Amino acid sequence: MTFSGLILRNLFRQRTRTALTMLGIAIGITTVVALGAVTAGLRASSSAFVKAGGADFLVAQRGASDLSFSTLDEQVADQIAARPDVERATRVFLEVADTPGNPFFFLLGYDPGELMQEPLRMLAGERLSADRPDALMLGSEAAAAFGAGVGDEVRLEGRTFHVVGIYAADDDWRDAGAIAPLRTVQEIARKPDVVTAVHVVAARPRDPDRVAAAIEAELPEVATIAGPEEYGKVDQGFEILDAANLAISLLAVGIGAIGVMNTMIMSVFERTREIGVLRAVGWSGPRVVRMVVAESLFLCVLAALIGIGLGVLASRLVLVVPAVSSFLTPAYEPAVFLRAVAVGVVVALVGALYPSIRAARLSPMEALRYE
Amino acid sequence: MSEPLIQARGLEKAFEKGRIVALRGMDLEVAEREFVAIVGPSGCGKSTLLHLIAALDKPDNGRIRVGEHELESGRHLSRYRARHIGMVFQLHNLLPSLTALENVQVPMFELGLGRRERKERARRLLALVGLGDREGSRPPELSGGERQRVGIARALANDPPILLADEPTGSLDSESGSRILDLLETLRRERGLTVILVTHDAEVAARADRIVRMLDGRLLGEEWAPRPEPVGAGAGAQQSAG
Repeated sequence: MTFSGLILRNLFRQRTRTALTMLGIAIGITTVVALGAVTAGLRASSSAFVKAGGADFLVAQRGASDLSFSTLDEQVADQIAARPDVERATRVFLEVADTPGNPFFFLLGYDPGELMQEPLRMLAGERLSADRPDALMLGSEAAAAFGAGVGDEVRLEGRTFHVVGIYAADDDWRDAGAIAPLRTVQEIARKPDVVTAVHVVAARPRDPDRVAAAIEAELPEVATIAGPEEYGKVDQGFEILDAANLAISLLAVGIGAIGVMNTMIMSVFERTREIGVLRAVGWSGPRVVRMVVAESLFLCVLAALIGIGLGVLASRLVLVVPAVSSFLTPAYEPAVFLRAVAVGVVVALVGALYPSIRAARLSPMEALRYE
Repeated sequence: MSEPLIQARGLEKAFEKGRIVALRGMDLEVAEREFVAIVGPSGCGKSTLLHLIAALDKPDNGRIRVGEHELESGRHLSRYRARHIGMVFQLHNLLPSLTALENVQVPMFELGLGRRERKERARRLLALVGLGDREGSRPPELSGGERQRVGIARALANDPPILLADEPTGSLDSESGSRILDLLETLRRERGLTVILVTHDAEVAARADRIVRMLDGRLLGEEWAPRPEPVGAGAGAQQSAG
């Protein structure tokens, strides 16, 4: 028999109680994992859009609450494009369209001339041309969702578009969305002369950080984003999600710790006489503490593993909703799982603190007299 | 004469804020390898005395020394219990979820023995108490006498020099009780143990080298069992007033 074997034996003496405690913690950790994976997925798809078309960084309105609300004057975009340290500046207008089955369909407005410079992989048909305001390119996922091909008509925002091409994009936003001429999308949004953002490729010798810093210095109303860590400059959504994630983690720790403490206190109370025997045969107080803490740790880490499994499952289930799957692929970053295990460990330690100290402080004689 | 292994002087112990006085200045000396029975009516303090020797409790007053351990200091008592004391309880106090073999291994964790060594040692001890074939049985599957023998094997787990038994036959029928006493005597003889046994049964006490009588928390008197004398000499019990 090993010490850990003894721990397991103790835990599974009250199977129902152990299982229910584990379930409670697992549900909390499921939420932590699912939300973490969704947040990481959103961050990944957003940053994929930032780098769309091989861009070094994206320029948008500083302080916008959401990237889709960003507005940049086209003159600003022109200023950026005219810079000698910028090789390519692609203006984009992001319009969220309501389509049957997907209220968050991304309709992206691009200048046909600028789009020609974009390294977009065409699966069928051709790109937009300046003389066709009703032309539309569909991402491969959107084409599948619409069941549309080149030559078909698609209605978006009350307009009829003619599908001229199907493309494949690395980022979810464009692959599940559509591209129409910039002027047309501006008309639909009733926002002439503004764009949402500008994708920038720095000129050689390429030093995107320096170029981005120079643009921000020259144009205080804009922010440059090179990666997910800078996304908060133009979109506070992630900060809100991060805060929600932290709050849920803390809540899971709080509720979980109370549950574990309750379980461990009951377990210690029930085994008072046994703990007295252990002390009588020579077990030290620290060994009794180790036993109670190890039981709690085992329970919580197992619950964390179950919670991780359920969390992954829950985040996959979210994808059943087409509106969600169009712009989100959950990302299972190690940090998400580490956070889940950390929640489990903290719950175990906090929950076992009082019961283990109580168990260790029991006078062997009092414990042996306990009925 | 060599120094006694156990020396208790003026032990006092009360419970429930002094309402119940268990010991009122009890003195006791026990030599190494001696078999002492402590007898007296219920509530005379004999179990309390045993618990103080086992360092399961601390005296309110008085001194108690076992070997080089001053127990009233309250330091390193777990280590003392683990290495020097084997405790046999009236109600065996085995852990119900563990097998006989596992129960015997429980005290060994404090010695830092490896898994295999713990298991081998526990097997030898179960064989020693005649339960080599019951190692996989859990306490509810064992008879009262068998449980008590597992309890004795557990008490010997860390090879302690002192075995303390609190009414070890109290919950057994006379045949099982007699076998337990035989076992204690054999162990004491073969392993050189010092045995202190608490009982209120005169027949049980008669198996000891010395009977210590207690009343109202004090030493009432002591009797030495007759020893084999040279031919021609009488053999009778000696008695001294306490």
